[in-house]
Amino acid sequence: MGFWDAVTEIIDAATPWATVEAEAPADIPAESAPAAESTEETTAETEAEEPAAAADEAEEEAEEEEEEDEDEIVDPKETLEEECRNSKECAPAKHHYDECVARVTGGTGAEGEDCVEEFFHLAHCATQCAAPKLWNVLK
Amino acid sequence: MLARTALRSTRTFASAKNGAFKFAKRSASTQSSGAAAESPLRLNIAAAAATAVAAGSIAWYYHLYGSASAMTPAEEGLHASKYPWVHQQWFKTFDHQALRRGFQVYREVCASCHSLSRVPYRSLVGTILTVDEAKALAEENEYDTEPNDQGEIEKRPGKLSDYLPDPYKNDEAARFANNGALPPDLSLIVKARHGGCDYIFSLLTGYPDEPPAGATVGAGLNFNPYFPGTGIAMARVLYDGLVDYEDGTPASTSQMAKDVVEFLNWAAEPEMDDRKRMGMKVLVVTSVLFAMSVWVKRYKWAWLKSRKIVYDPPKESATRH
Ligand code: HEC
Repeated sequence: MGFWDAVTEIIDAATPWATVEAEAPADIPAESAPAAESTEETTAETEAEEPAAAADEAEEEAEEEEEEDEDEIVDPKETLEEECRNSKECAPAKHHYDECVARVTGGTGAEGEDCVEEFFHLAHCATQCAAPKLWNVLK
Repeated sequence: MLARTALRSTRTFASAKNGAFKFAKRSASTQSSGAAAESPLRLNIAAAAATAVAAGSIAWYYHLYGSASAMTPAEEGLHASKYPWVHQQWFKTFDHQALRRGFQVYREVCASCHSLSRVPYRSLVGTILTVDEAKALAEENEYDTEPNDQGEIEKRPGKLSDYLPDPYKNDEAARFANNGALPPDLSLIVKARHGGCDYIFSLLTGYPDEPPAGATVGAGLNFNPYFPGTGIAMARVLYDGLVDYEDGTPASTSQMAKDVVEFLNWAAEPEMDDRKRMGMKVLVVTSVLFAMSVWVKRYKWAWLKSRKIVYDPPKESATRH
């Protein structure tokens, strides 16, 4: 919620001509709940939002066309993290992980050795690097 | 009163200091007489023996338990990376369109295993659903009535005041259906897990295609790096395109996870939007009051701050003395 919403709301509440409505004003479509306005107004700045049920199909469809086709959804997290795993940033972690996998699957590792720790380091690096990019892509 | 306690505490402090001082003096005097008994050789033997005991205890542990693999990273679980959740910013609300999508994911995916028992239909009204949608949803389920005249309990369709239905009759049934693992109630899960939103998002999207080489995964468990111990009874549940969002958002795994986590955050903290608004109002009011108090102080002190003290020495005159 923006700063000015709070200010205007306080001013609204203080003005003598302000009206207090227990129920939704009559001109709001019947389907929208009494409590709906206050919360919905506040979100308006985040995205173009309409009361929940209102049909804003057209707008959404325009957005959707920018993304992949409906039936072939690719998870952006997978692709971004794959890029990150192969980036220079994560090269040391990937090197250790690959080496460990080669060692363990090749049978030259220590007794009972596993690559969980190396996996963790690589996954940590990849998710850390992909996190902000992912949030730019997701809605 | 305050002065007295303050005094008393300094006195006790002083006496403690004296005591320490005396003690130090005495030990200094006794040491000189007994110093001959503590030969360097004996001290060295004591140190060597202590070291041997320490090393021996490690060896004994290793002998008993094989390897010393306690407190491994796997036991702790991978710590989730931080994601830039918009709703967690100070001046941002929940994205209610996302909550709506998240509720859809909960209902279509999670609700078959996880209850959400602290959320009534009425709380969905205006935040996620419209009244009519919430009523229609409530009516899809049956609830017990109060006992009637004959003491019979009948069924009635749900009302807004009812709570979301549980998927299982009781915990035993839930365990029985899930290989002995109890799917926890999700109402407060965001607050109940270290890492909150980041953890649950990572948990839902973090199942690797296959566990890393050499990792052991218990029977009936699935490898998930974020779950402490890495073996979790819940299999991966979110797959690309699993739900059809009514607003046409592409339902990738991470999109669904993000939405459902934001929804679960709402379920755990439905007051968040109002709380932030109230916090903002408090800041506004207190800053106005503070500004006013500064002006008032300035006004009240003006006479004192602006006075001028002038010493006007009497004219030297012969009449004095
Ligand atoms: C097939 C049933 C099933 C479905 C569907 C399911 N879960 Fe679970 N979930 C479980 C079980 C069983 C556990 C307990 C795992 C354990 O303790 O090893 C669990 C545990 C969890 C936990 C707790 C993990 C922890 O740290 O203790 C969370 C959070 C969770 N599930 C979220 C979800 C969400 C969100 C969805 C929907 C997208 C979902 N689950 C769908 C069965 C399920």
